[in-house]
Parts: sequence; structure tokens; C-alpha cells
Amino acid sequence: MSIFKEFTKGLWQELPPFRLVLGLCPVLAVTKSATNGLGMGLAVIFVLTWSNILVSALRKVIPRKVRIASYIVIIATFVVIVEMATQAFFYPVYEALGIFIPLIVVNCVILGRAEAFASKNGVVASALDGLGIGAGFTMSLVVLGGLRELIGAGTLFDVEIMSAAYRSHSFSFMLEAPGAFICLGVLLAIMNAVSAPSSS
Amino acid sequence: MKAADLTVSTGSHWHSGAKITDFSYNTLLALVPAIAMGMYRYGVSAAGVIGTAMASAMIAEAAMQKLLGKPVRIADGSAAVSGLLLALLLPANTPAYMVIVASVIGITIGKLCFGGLGANPLSPALVGWAVLRITKPWAGYLDFDLALINYDLGFSMQYPLAVLKASGALGIQDFNTWNLFLGNQTGGIGASAIVCVLGGGLYMVARGLVRWEIPLCFLLGVVIASSLFRLVDSAANADPLFHIVTGNVMIGALFLSTDNSSAPINRWGMVAFGLCCGMMTVVLRAWSVYPDGVVFACLLMSLFVPLLDKLRASTIVVRPTNVQITGETVEGGTSS
Repeated sequence: MSIFKEFTKGLWQELPPFRLVLGLCPVLAVTKSATNGLGMGLAVIFVLTWSNILVSALRKVIPRKVRIASYIVIIATFVVIVEMATQAFFYPVYEALGIFIPLIVVNCVILGRAEAFASKNGVVASALDGLGIGAGFTMSLVVLGGLRELIGAGTLFDVEIMSAAYRSHSFSFMLEAPGAFICLGVLLAIMNAVSAPSSS
Repeated sequence: MKAADLTVSTGSHWHSGAKITDFSYNTLLALVPAIAMGMYRYGVSAAGVIGTAMASAMIAEAAMQKLLGKPVRIADGSAAVSGLLLALLLPANTPAYMVIVASVIGITIGKLCFGGLGANPLSPALVGWAVLRITKPWAGYLDFDLALINYDLGFSMQYPLAVLKASGALGIQDFNTWNLFLGNQTGGIGASAIVCVLGGGLYMVARGLVRWEIPLCFLLGVVIASSLFRLVDSAANADPLFHIVTGNVMIGALFLSTDNSSAPINRWGMVAFGLCCGMMTVVLRAWSVYPDGVVFACLLMSLFVPLLDKLRASTIVVRPTNVQITGETVEGGTSS
């Protein structure tokens, strides 16, 4: 079934932060913990899937010259829904993610998928593409957030993993902004080394 | 018009004619007095920090070069120098794990990820130190007053810059500048031995391994900025001499800011680099949360080195007024 390739490609081949190197702003900013990464990822899955579906359904209606503005309106609609929903039902997550939920509007992964995929493909394929890319994005955020949380605070999903001795003297550099860059860079290097063995 | 040239490459280097090994071993030699002073002051624990830092830096360099498939070149001594400089900034009883984390990150992320010796935009020792500094749970080990609380060396065991930060110029009246200059102050293992560091640095300058522009302008920058601060508020700010003989200024001027690949290569670039490092040091001492600002000043200014390298003597030569433009040569124009 070729249509499921639209889903699975987002999990490795076109993994957003690592293979496409897109959407790095939330990747770096909200991955202080695995929980934040998961919350952000779920929000992105929702917005990405629904905006892909709507953009794909309206792809013959939207005039080419104003397409970006139209996509932004569609994306912004779903972002507002997510923002209100998290504020109403998951207030701690809303507090932790802060400005980065509204900023999903300008996440280039979502606009990128609308422009590069949903505006050219059918509704089902676009929905699967959105789910797949979103799942890959979530996976990356959780891995990065988990790694940073584990090293930087000694916990994982707020569960205390390391001993109290480690937690009181944890390597909190990983939770700082430079730690995010270094952690992302190291993961990128590892992924490139794994997926593309050197030709020499 | 020509399109913007966005090609980036490793910066060119000023060449003293010496080999890398000459430079490294001479730096190690120049730092021997500071090491000796540190070990005399703080005993075996200082030796432990220095040994741990140098060994872990060299092992990290070898392992990373192996991993990247590059020739292993730890024998050139540059990793040893980075490890040693890092150790000299730390208190004598820094836990070994902190030393190892700092030197491994400094060497691997700070140096080899950028292409190894000569391609690193920041000094590896400073990167390692900065990583420790911003790790909040470890801050107590880098606070000299807390870290060295069990030492009594027969002089005031208060870290002069912490006193300055806490109580202004009034608090530092008890410090004798000459005493501070002789190294009778708490601080990093080697960095606090001001006179030894100065001696070693003068040796490096005399051998031509360190150009005199950067250290001189660094100290000049400290003097200028601290004088300005003192003009504005003499109750809160120390005099220039106090700034020069405390903390990391001396080791920063002579050894940290002159790191080969993270300092400019042209004379006017060096002058600007030194002045800015020195002034930024005093600004950070006055306004940042940390007592000393030398390392962050050097790191910050190192990022401007590609720009500072564009400052060349030839670009500020006054253009002769009536030059015949023949289509072959234009005299006095910019050369680059």
C-alpha cells in the first residue's frame, strides 16, 4: 500500500527536526522536559493533520496568488482551537509551553507541509502525511526533551529516575539554551552517521 | 554589483615560524611557575585538578580524532595546553567529574566538532569553563569563597572580586595591591598567581609566541573602562590597578585571549580585540551576576574575530588625492 508510505516517511526519511531541519524554534525552546515535548508534539499533530486536510480539500478553491495567506488563516484557526483547549483542559501544559503554542502558527513544518504536500495531493494522503510528519516531530521532541531532562534534572516525565545525589547536582547545563543546541547537534550527528555511512 | 560573498572558511593564521609543538610546549613551560605556585598554595588537590584536566582533554582529543577518522595528534600538546588553562581557572578542590565534563566538552564540542586545532572559533578551555559556570547546581564549587572555605593560607581568604561586588570600593580597602600582585589572594589554581602568570606571559611575548598587541590592549581596555566607571561612581567601583591584579585578568590577557585560532591576526584587529576584551571584562564585573567577567568577555569577543580580521592597516591609509586611474593600478586603495 503506497499510501501508507505517506505516513511512514515522516518517522525517519523526512523526520522534521533532524532530516528536514525544520521547526527548530519550538524544538529548542520547549524541550526542557519530555512532558513539554510530548504536549507540544500532540498540539502540532493536531494542527498539522487538520490544516493538511483543509488545505488539501480547498486546494482547487484557493487562488494561487493568495495561497500563503490562506494557509496561515487555516493554520491559525486550528492553533487557536489548540490554545483554548489546552488552556481549558491541560492548564499546566499550557503554562509550561506559554508563547510557543501561539507560535505554532509560524512553525515552518506546518506551512511547509501545506505548501509542499497538501496543496498538491488528495485529502487522505494529506491527512496521513500530516499524521506521519506530526508523529515524527513528536517523537523527536520527546527524545530530545527526555534526554535533556534525564541529564539535566535526573527525571523523565517528572518521574525521578536518577538518585537524589545525582538530582541535587545534576548537569543542568543541558536545560539551558546552549545545552539544547549541543544536544540537538549531537543527535543530528549521530543520525547522519547512522543513516548515511561515509562513502570513503 | 558583485553579489555578497558568503563563502566561509577557516581563518588565516599569523605565523611565528614555530611549530605547533614548539608553541604548546613553550606555553606549558611558561605556565610552570603558575602551576608551582598553585601546588605550593593548595597542595596535592591542585595537582589533581591539573592532572585530571590535562589527561581528560588529551584522552578526549584522541578518542574524538579516532571517531572522526582523523590522524590522532595529541602529541602536539594543544589539548594538554587547553586542559591546563582550564585547570588554572578552577578552584583547587573542584570535583574531578566537573573537571572531566568541562575539558571533554571543551575539546570535543568546542574544538574538534569545528574541525580541530586552528578551526575552532572559541578557545576550548573557555568553552569548558563556561559550561561549568552556567550549570547552576555546580555553582557552589566555582564560588571561590565557598569552595576554598577550608583553606587558611595566611592572607585574606575572601575572593577580592566577590568583596568588590558585595560592598564596593569601601570593602576592598583592606586589600593591598602589591600583595594581590604577588598572588596573595584566593582564586583559580594558577590564575591567582598574578606575578607568575605575568612572568610566563612575558616569556611567551619575548619568544614571539604571543603577540604583544593583545595583552597590552587587554590591560589598556581594563584601565580605560575601570577609569570611566570610577569617574561615574567612585564609591562602587575599584581603581584600575585593583582590576588588573585580581581574578583572571592577567591570565586572560596573556594566555586566554591570545588563543591561536580564536584571536585576530592583523595588528588593528588585535588592538580592537584586546581593547574590547578588557573593557567588556570590567563591564561584566560591574554589571553581570558573576564576580569575574574575563572568560565571558573573551568568548564574546572571539565571536567577533571574523569581523575584526577585516580591520587592516591598509584600509585606513589616506587615499592620495590625485591618483591617475590608468586602469592598471589604483594606489592606496583597499587591498584584501
